[in-house]
Amino acid sequence: MTTYRLQVNGKQHAVDTDSDTPLLYVMRNDLALNGAKFGCGLGQCGSCTVLLDGQPALSCMVPVSSVGARKVRTVEGLGDARTPGVLQQAFIDEQAAQCGYCIAGMIMQASALLETTPAPSDAQIRAHMSPNLCRCGTHMRILRAVRRAADVLAKGGGR
Amino acid sequence: MDPHHDSARGRRRHRWVLLLAAAVVLAGVAFAIMWRPALAPLAAPLAFDQASVARGANLARLGMCASCHTPDLARPFAGGKPMETPFGTVHSTNITPDPHTGIGAWSLEAFTRAMRQGVARDGHLLYPAFPYNHYARMTRADIDDLYAYFMTRPAIHAPPRDNRMTFPFGLRPLVGFWNVLYLDDAPWQPDPRQSAALNRGAYLADAVAHCAACHTPRTRLGGPDLTRQLDGGEAEDWYAPALNRNSPSPLPWTRAQLQEYLRSGIATDHAVAAGPMQDVVMHLAQADADDVAALAAWTHSHLAQAPARATPAQRDGPLPHPAADDPELQRMRLGYALYADACARCHDRGRDQTSGAALPLQKAIALYDPDPRSLLHIVDDGILPPDGEPGRMMPGFKAILDEEQAGALAAYLRKYGAGQPAWPELDKAVSKARAP
Repeated sequence: MTTYRLQVNGKQHAVDTDSDTPLLYVMRNDLALNGAKFGCGLGQCGSCTVLLDGQPALSCMVPVSSVGARKVRTVEGLGDARTPGVLQQAFIDEQAAQCGYCIAGMIMQASALLETTPAPSDAQIRAHMSPNLCRCGTHMRILRAVRRAADVLAKGGGR
Repeated sequence: MDPHHDSARGRRRHRWVLLLAAAVVLAGVAFAIMWRPALAPLAAPLAFDQASVARGANLARLGMCASCHTPDLARPFAGGKPMETPFGTVHSTNITPDPHTGIGAWSLEAFTRAMRQGVARDGHLLYPAFPYNHYARMTRADIDDLYAYFMTRPAIHAPPRDNRMTFPFGLRPLVGFWNVLYLDDAPWQPDPRQSAALNRGAYLADAVAHCAACHTPRTRLGGPDLTRQLDGGEAEDWYAPALNRNSPSPLPWTRAQLQEYLRSGIATDHAVAAGPMQDVVMHLAQADADDVAALAAWTHSHLAQAPARATPAQRDGPLPHPAADDPELQRMRLGYALYADACARCHDRGRDQTSGAALPLQKAIALYDPDPRSLLHIVDDGILPPDGEPGRMMPGFKAILDEEQAGALAAYLRKYGAGQPAWPELDKAVSKARAP
């Protein structure tokens, strides 16, 4: 057991755990951040996607020992039920969740895109979202939600 | 009259005539090297024999034509794929029978000339990104079958995309000089001492599948280095391993393993196809099984020349801690920690049910390559089967490992996984692999 210091959504945490513990487990079991989901545990589905220094990363594949000083951001950092962020609001407006299991990962994957590419083309959105799977088949609504969020941001919307 | 002066003038005039004659001869030779005539367009559509079309389809798969000519699956053989070369960006062409933008107006004679000499119907020279220096040795019958196959594909209107060549390579006639150096269109000769299957494999590998285009190093002029056949080359910034006695493989290959690999991309105990090789196996999976077996036999006959050697791949179990007296102990400790925390859970402990078949890293060929490019691409981007294809999957670690971590991991794996001397300029390669 080692103590790891993590900065998640702007807040410092100290966690005692084994070096190979996935960041996903630390967030869910120690930090009560349950947005990111355990889907496959093999880096194949994207439901555990979080941002590491702005880059989308599959947190089930991230050993806690490798995070270091990099800033972790999760869906909880974008807003909450009362004050949802632009992407979260767009997913609500498009009713883009069915069972909802993949959605936190989808939103974080999309947020990485919108931060670097404020006016993405539909093809860019598709390509960027391709690592994230949805078993319910709401992809078309998810793509519409990302499009809607991009358009809101382009008009200067957002918090 | 000064006879001395007069004869000096004569000598000077003589010299001018000689120079002029030499210039004319040189211009004639250059013209003969660089100029090719246009061939007449096809007057009327042709009819093709279905058996010939079917044989052509198999040859197109063995030659992996779609790999370059079909960047968009919805538009088969319409071309337009950009290919980076040291001389600029070349785009693949439309080889559907569209009469205006494809090869619909090409006669069999024009098609044969393109395949054997790299000349388009209108006489312009094609860039050797199109591997006509291999197809040059294809049999008459095979070229006929390929022609039948392509001329019966759906015609698609797709104008050629402009190439972006660096000066002076935008001048296509210059390719004529490349052809003098590298184009050998003498017909392929079987080796009577070898079996029919091995000869079939050798023919397919050379004249159709053009294995050497990537697996043989290139000269500075972009031609194959004929003194180092199959000695390892590159493709799209991946190292294409040597297939001869210098093979980096830490374990000997069997013929069965090669056959499995060429058809599925997965070889037990050896490798999973990654990078440009994924495309190769995707096409070979659809080709005639006997032909792929022949290719495997041919590849095996070359790989079997590699001398047996002791390598860490013969051991089982996880990789070791770095030695306490390692001169780069700090870096190796970081590399080991990343290996143990990130890689080992699938590769050496296989605790996840579906990762049981992940390759133990001491067997991973990329660790034994003479340069780290393939390993770095796999660590950064993982291995994703091509769209819609089955295959092994590994997630990429680009967002998870920063440059220092990726470099330390590669250095550790090279030394303690493969037991090989450090790669020179590893850090530069790490940065380059991540350059946008």
